[in-house]
Amino acid sequence: MSKPEFVYVTYIETTPEKLWEALTSSEFSRKYWMGTELQSDWTVGSPFALVNNGTTSDVGEVLEFDRPRRLSYTFRHVLYDDMRNEEPSKVVFTLEPHGHLVKLTLTHEGFTGANKLLDGISKGWPAILSSLKSLLETGTALVIPRTALGKEPRPS
Amino acid sequence: MSKPEFIYVTYIETTPEKLWHALTDGDFTQRYWFGARLRSDWKAGSSFEMVRSDGTVSDAGKVVEVDPPRRLAYTFINQSDKYKNEFPALATFVLEPYGKLVKLTLTHEGFAEGSKFYSGISKGWPAILSSLKSILETGQPLDIPFEALKMEA
Repeated sequence: MSKPEFVYVTYIETTPEKLWEALTSSEFSRKYWMGTELQSDWTVGSPFALVNNGTTSDVGEVLEFDRPRRLSYTFRHVLYDDMRNEEPSKVVFTLEPHGHLVKLTLTHEGFTGANKLLDGISKGWPAILSSLKSLLETGTALVIPRTALGKEPRPS
Repeated sequence: MSKPEFIYVTYIETTPEKLWHALTDGDFTQRYWFGARLRSDWKAGSSFEMVRSDGTVSDAGKVVEVDPPRRLAYTFINQSDKYKNEFPALATFVLEPYGKLVKLTLTHEGFAEGSKFYSGISKGWPAILSSLKSILETGQPLDIPFEALKMEA
């Protein structure tokens, strides 16, 4: 079986340039990414970090910066014990324009197996990308409480 | 290998009642669901159909669970010959309110390994649910060209 990965597709009424900026700017990410700053100079090979209130939760390296089409970086969690020892994974965003829309495909891959980190990012990404879509389409990001991410509804 | 299932979570600024209406009212679905009117009396056991603008039925199945505005489940399969050897799979919508938002979780499961229909719905759902979120938050659905989905012929 191929390595587990998380894939999420969303369609947003915006331009590739605006979406690209939202995905790479701290000023934007603070609004939709639960207060997280994306820190990097975005040169291929440069380091990259997710920082919230001065605390770094994840680090990586910029792999691809093909504006405004394809963005990729490695991703390694460094904060919580039950997720910090996983091998680095890889995040890829592809942006495809279609008229007034952009089709955004997020692939987070390279996990060695089902693990807490894969579970965590599978809950995190839909919230982050839903909030991003709202910010770009309505001007206001969503405020999603952490408890909303944690619950896993199961068929009764 | 386990049977394929498709799971999609989105967060929408709306109420569970408005979202429920958007998912079950044919006049409303027509605006964001690639022109499809969803048709059913929404009782467990009743038939469920997606109806094209020309009146023909594209997909059909049965309503399995109706618990407004929390849980909705139905089966359906596309009526095209391409899928004649496949059987309806189960789509379950769970609506959870969080303040001004609703967390919508769609699970589509029960596909056989290698199902072609699974491949189709995996591409269709993100488009439909993105357009649903837009129409509820901005008043306008998205005008997603079918080619953007990159469905296999």
